[in-house]
Amino acid sequence: MTRELLTGNLAAAWGARLARVDYVPAFPITPQTEIIETLSDWYDSGVMAGRLVTLESEHSMITAAGAAAATGVRVFSATSSQGLLYGMEMIYTVAGWRVPFVLVNVSRALAAPVTLEPDHNDILAARDSGMLQIHCANCQEVLDSLLIAYRLAEDPRVRLPVIVNLDGFYLSFTREPVIIPEPGAVDAFLPAFDAESIRFRASQPESQAVAVLGGSPYSYFRYETHLAALEALKVYDEVAADFTARFGRSHAAVEDYRCGDAEIVLVMMGSFATKAREAVERLRDAGVAAGLLRPRLLRPFPADRLREYLAGKRGVAVIDQNLSMGKGGVLHSEIASALYGRKDAPPVLTSFIGGLGGRDISAEEFYEMVSVTREAADSGTVPPPRLLYTRDELREVRKLQTIARVERSELGKEP
Amino acid sequence: MKESMYKRMKDLPSAHLLGTGTPMCAGCGGLEALHEIYDVLGSRTVFVNAAGCMTLLATYPFTPFRGSWLYTAMASAPAGAQGIRDALDILLQRRSITKEEDLDVVVLTGDGAAYGMGLSATSGAIERGLDFLYICYDNEGYGNTGQQYSGATPHGARTATSRGPSGFAGFKKDLFSIWAAHKPTYVATVIGAEPLDLARKVEKAKQLDGPRLIIALAPCPTGWDYEPRHTADIGKLAVQTGIWPLKEYVDGTVTHTRMPRPRRPVAEYLKMQGRFAHLFLDQRGKHMLAEIQARIDRYWDTVEA
Amino acid sequence: MKTASRILGRAFFAEGFEVQDAPRYGAERRGAPIFAYVRAAREAINERGIITTPDLVVVADDTLPAIPAAGTLAGVDDRTVLLIISREPADTWRSRLNLSCSVVVIREDVESPVSEEMPFKGAVCAGGAAHLVGVIPRPTLAQAIERELDSMPAAMIEANLEHGLAAFDQLADHAGAVQQGVGVSADNPRPPQWVDLPLQPAGAAAPVIQAAATSVEVHTGLWRSVRPVIDDERCVGCWWVCSTFCPDGAIEVRDGRPHIDYEHCKGCMVCVAKCPPHAIDTIPEHAAQQADREDHHRDA
Repeated sequence: MTRELLTGNLAAAWGARLARVDYVPAFPITPQTEIIETLSDWYDSGVMAGRLVTLESEHSMITAAGAAAATGVRVFSATSSQGLLYGMEMIYTVAGWRVPFVLVNVSRALAAPVTLEPDHNDILAARDSGMLQIHCANCQEVLDSLLIAYRLAEDPRVRLPVIVNLDGFYLSFTREPVIIPEPGAVDAFLPAFDAESIRFRASQPESQAVAVLGGSPYSYFRYETHLAALEALKVYDEVAADFTARFGRSHAAVEDYRCGDAEIVLVMMGSFATKAREAVERLRDAGVAAGLLRPRLLRPFPADRLREYLAGKRGVAVIDQNLSMGKGGVLHSEIASALYGRKDAPPVLTSFIGGLGGRDISAEEFYEMVSVTREAADSGTVPPPRLLYTRDELREVRKLQTIARVERSELGKEP
Repeated sequence: MKESMYKRMKDLPSAHLLGTGTPMCAGCGGLEALHEIYDVLGSRTVFVNAAGCMTLLATYPFTPFRGSWLYTAMASAPAGAQGIRDALDILLQRRSITKEEDLDVVVLTGDGAAYGMGLSATSGAIERGLDFLYICYDNEGYGNTGQQYSGATPHGARTATSRGPSGFAGFKKDLFSIWAAHKPTYVATVIGAEPLDLARKVEKAKQLDGPRLIIALAPCPTGWDYEPRHTADIGKLAVQTGIWPLKEYVDGTVTHTRMPRPRRPVAEYLKMQGRFAHLFLDQRGKHMLAEIQARIDRYWDTVEA
Repeated sequence: MKTASRILGRAFFAEGFEVQDAPRYGAERRGAPIFAYVRAAREAINERGIITTPDLVVVADDTLPAIPAAGTLAGVDDRTVLLIISREPADTWRSRLNLSCSVVVIREDVESPVSEEMPFKGAVCAGGAAHLVGVIPRPTLAQAIERELDSMPAAMIEANLEHGLAAFDQLADHAGAVQQGVGVSADNPRPPQWVDLPLQPAGAAAPVIQAAATSVEVHTGLWRSVRPVIDDERCVGCWWVCSTFCPDGAIEVRDGRPHIDYEHCKGCMVCVAKCPPHAIDTIPEHAAQQADREDHHRDA
């Protein structure tokens, strides 16, 4: 066991290495590329046994990942943003194949306009695919989550591919101290993949991913995938508990930070949640009973767990680093559906959109969200959803707009 | 290369491996080619399929294959083949499976995937030197959706999206040359109506390693508008008129495996198909027919020069 | 049958009915049995999809009703009317199929222009059905046929009109035989037997087939409208021709001779076209089945 400075990308690569992945179909995309470059070096130098192959697109990459898993090897792949969307047909498809593998998504906001820094609209586009989702808040969690993800994916009760999500820049390019577990300890936690009956062998003809006709068989197969995803909640708890027992680090399906005696609870996902953690700490210092809940699992959705934590709270502020056009924050809807109709549900559920395209969220903004939510609890009037956006930012954008227009009119002028 | 075991029609397999009871149209020229191909390839194969007519060959719980099958999507069957081949290689390398458990990986797609949406994936697979066999059944249109034109549709053909008086304005893409330009191990054209030529080519492809690609012209009673019983006759005419040259590419050289001499007029082939009926109606049709014939003549002039 | 459903739907529509008509496609392609359905009502139609309890079932291919897998009799009850284009009388069908509902036959015979030829079957089915439902006058049927076939050459439309109207006229005695059904009553209904799906291991709960050549369970032989029959005397035993060219691989070679697998032969007739000594005859399927039945009776 060593403690080393690793970027989120390197932590992901280390997770794949410790999981002894056999096969990595790859395709470069910022801010993920460092992962596959690292793995490529490790395969080339013989540190890892297996093969990395660069496909010609993410669509092909995910096809190859699913097909290799369907043949019975342990597969890892990584992508980001536009790449995840380019491969989206296959994200849905391979989940239906019931093939276990792990895909890292380094979150990056989606076009248009094309940009580089993170939010969660890319990964949320995969929400309903059947691939399970683990969302990380720091680099240690990235490494640990990969090991947990393989156990979860390959469990015969689950047998579904898993996405481990980490935020671009804030984790992908950020070095933090990360404990790299001993390979022997990882091997004991994560034994070799047993493909059981789903695999291609000459002696056993097998047709996989076969078409069905008619709503009845289709409903059956789809619902079985859903049941397996639901079962993954139970399996996750078992695997996470085993992980804690072996490595001492806890990665519960929902992270609870000072929720127990909190009146107002912030709910958010990903690396920005550590900023919320800091804000809760400062608020506590100031005498405000705030807390934080961070779902690590988005699919399966730990609704019961969230409900228990939020029961009896005065108010809940959901901070969405995503935007469903024409609706609002995705996590807000998810939390609302988990709480609706419960006698002990918090009376106030406020919605904030922040961190789009990597836009920072300041400490004061966290304090204000708690304050607004507390006032709503006092008054019984819930404010409309709020985009975290300041006067200064708008002023800056106005300047950019002016330049954009000036340049156009300049070009139109006669010399 | 061993000498072919298929010298005469008599040498063709008498037991057919591909199961009956498939949902393909009666008289399907693609199925005719596939069952002939399967007899040569055998069941130690995994077919990786892209969306097309043949996707429904395996419809739960029915499959005609005695070996394996994986349906992927329209664009990425060669990438599915990549994943399976790589996984089998890894399993062999670390001795998790024996050689006896290995499979030949075969991509099976229609022309829609081969000439269009899946071309990038095919190009990638060839450039990576993937050890696989690609079988394209080419019925010259998006047959599974009702025969709209595709990159494989010949000039002048009426399709569901080229119903005008002159049919399809474009020209059939030369996929053979596009594939050959990648310098793979083997490229060939075949047709079910010439089973001996087909068997020899599949036999040869089977013995080679690396990317091997075969286009089977697939006469399609539904899409080409003719009575199903004419499938093999139309296939023969495609070869005898020279509109479907039977050829192969090996080591940078293209060889024609049949020289249609004398070539029959292409009108004989076209007039059997409703999709070309407008070529036989009026002056415009006559001109188009002459153009089509001239293009075929030019092709063979180059070959024979 | 898509044409039949469209003509009938068009005719109802012209008479002021609300209408739904739709074909149903499955995995099978051209040559396979296909069905279509029509709903018509004076009020708005809220039902959708396949008709589970039909008031009228029209069968264009009389080789199908006796084959359970074809599903032509699904949902038929005492008040259903079954219309078959056939050479055999209604009583024969009622006893053969052991039916208690009323059966009406459109006769296929040489004198009548009603024929088994495929291009006209749509018009014939629609024509017969139009009279049975009792609310479609003859001129309305004629207009509907013309309208639905207007992309065809004039001679084809004319021939379809002739066949469709002949079918209509043949069923004059049965005008209005079909009664409008009622919807499923909400008064004391039978509740659905919902189950909670159990979680099954992925090996069973994924769309995976762990077996070889299971497609032989599908009897595509029922697609056939004509049957190829090998004349053993003329067959010279060059099995490699018919057996190789058969797209479906439905010609087996035993003891060096070809044998057609009628459970799976789709009747494409490629073998007939390719047989060098012309030793394969073309027999209409209904005639072949009739002969089979007679052989069976004789043996019994």
